[in-house]
Amino acid sequence: MNRRGVGAGAIAKKKLAEAKYKERGNVLAEDQLVQMSKHLEMFKTNLEEFASKHKQEIRKNPQFRVQFQDMCATIGVDPLASGKGFWSEMLGVGDFYYELGVQIVEVCLALKHHNGGLITLAELHQQVLKGRGKLAQDVSQDDIIRAIKKLKVLGSGFGIIPVGGSYLVQSVPAELNMDHTVVLQLAEKKGYVTVGEIQSSLNWEKERAKHVLEHLLKEGLAWLDLQATGDPQYWLPALFTELYSKQITPGESSEGPP
Amino acid sequence: MGFEWPWQYNFPPFYTLQPNVDTRQKQLSAWTSLVLSFCRHNKFYTMNVMEIQESPLFNNKKIQRKLPLESVQVVLEELRKKGNLEWLDKNKTRFLIMWRRPDEWGKVIYLWVSKNGMTNSVFTLYELINGDETEGEEFHGLDESMLLKSLETLQLEHKAEIFTLNDSKGVKFF
Repeated sequence: MNRRGVGAGAIAKKKLAEAKYKERGNVLAEDQLVQMSKHLEMFKTNLEEFASKHKQEIRKNPQFRVQFQDMCATIGVDPLASGKGFWSEMLGVGDFYYELGVQIVEVCLALKHHNGGLITLAELHQQVLKGRGKLAQDVSQDDIIRAIKKLKVLGSGFGIIPVGGSYLVQSVPAELNMDHTVVLQLAEKKGYVTVGEIQSSLNWEKERAKHVLEHLLKEGLAWLDLQATGDPQYWLPALFTELYSKQITPGESSEGPP
Repeated sequence: MGFEWPWQYNFPPFYTLQPNVDTRQKQLSAWTSLVLSFCRHNKFYTMNVMEIQESPLFNNKKIQRKLPLESVQVVLEELRKKGNLEWLDKNKTRFLIMWRRPDEWGKVIYLWVSKNGMTNSVFTLYELINGDETEGEEFHGLDESMLLKSLETLQLEHKAEIFTLNDSKGVKFF
């Protein structure tokens, strides 16, 4: 009669085997952990080495900065996530974007009385550069967009609206939907737009066009011109300044009447 | 030195009174400071409404825009509220524009008086405006009624006393 594996001895044996397996498993897991930590350590060292080696370039060269940002994005690292993190301490990039953010807010505030809180990216870029002076590190439009995205976190109403090939930066919390954005895009070329123009180029009902323009007036983003020949024109100061490139500086707002 | 127009001057809707209250506020404050700096640049003191509406100030030929008369009135009324304008007749056709308010002029004049150690001196109004001594001072060439108003503010502060001498007026500073 075969009674193998049924007796008390067999049970003990089985338990022993299980314990051994478990032990082995633990060792394996530990090994893996050690290995992984090693990899991580190596990765970090390499990244640190890379970062410190190219620190100057990352800080100085806007193009290099874009590539570095892209690289970080692919591996899921956000060097701007915190001012205290390894990245900002290592590179000073965090400070760089915070500083830039403050400058952007300053420019937007100074020009708000003029453009109602809407500005083209190109104009904003130019004004920020002017404010930074010649000795400061170069800033690209990409940097500005990144800094604005950081500002969004504050819930300060900052937003970026794509128009044509460029962008409009919104610094007041006005509600803008797709209709408004499309109309802004239409106004981009001339600085103004009329009900008729909207109807013919977008195939909209008159009411829809009127509604959008009324909203832009209400938000203080557009100005009405009743002296134009033909339809009343709705002008956007934000677009006007760039098109007619009249000199304005952030200092302008502080100049009051005598 | 040429006059430097603000950016709004070439912005067509600037010549249409804006329906949005906030925007209109910005528009009016831009208009009032433009009127003041324009009059200051040209040393205008008393003006006529029709005259000023036709002047380049409210009439931009380049972009073919002109601020309508009713809107001009709104701008001028805004200036009056701020203490920079005074109507000279009942029908509101002529006005005195004060790009410095009388009390501000008073300060400028008194500063000059004390800087030059002229306290306790007597001047005729004519001397102050046209005299050699005030040549190059900002108040040189000031409108006489404007000067009188400024001196009256100084009189209230006991820094000056205005008196009449024959046909003309004089002032003593303390």
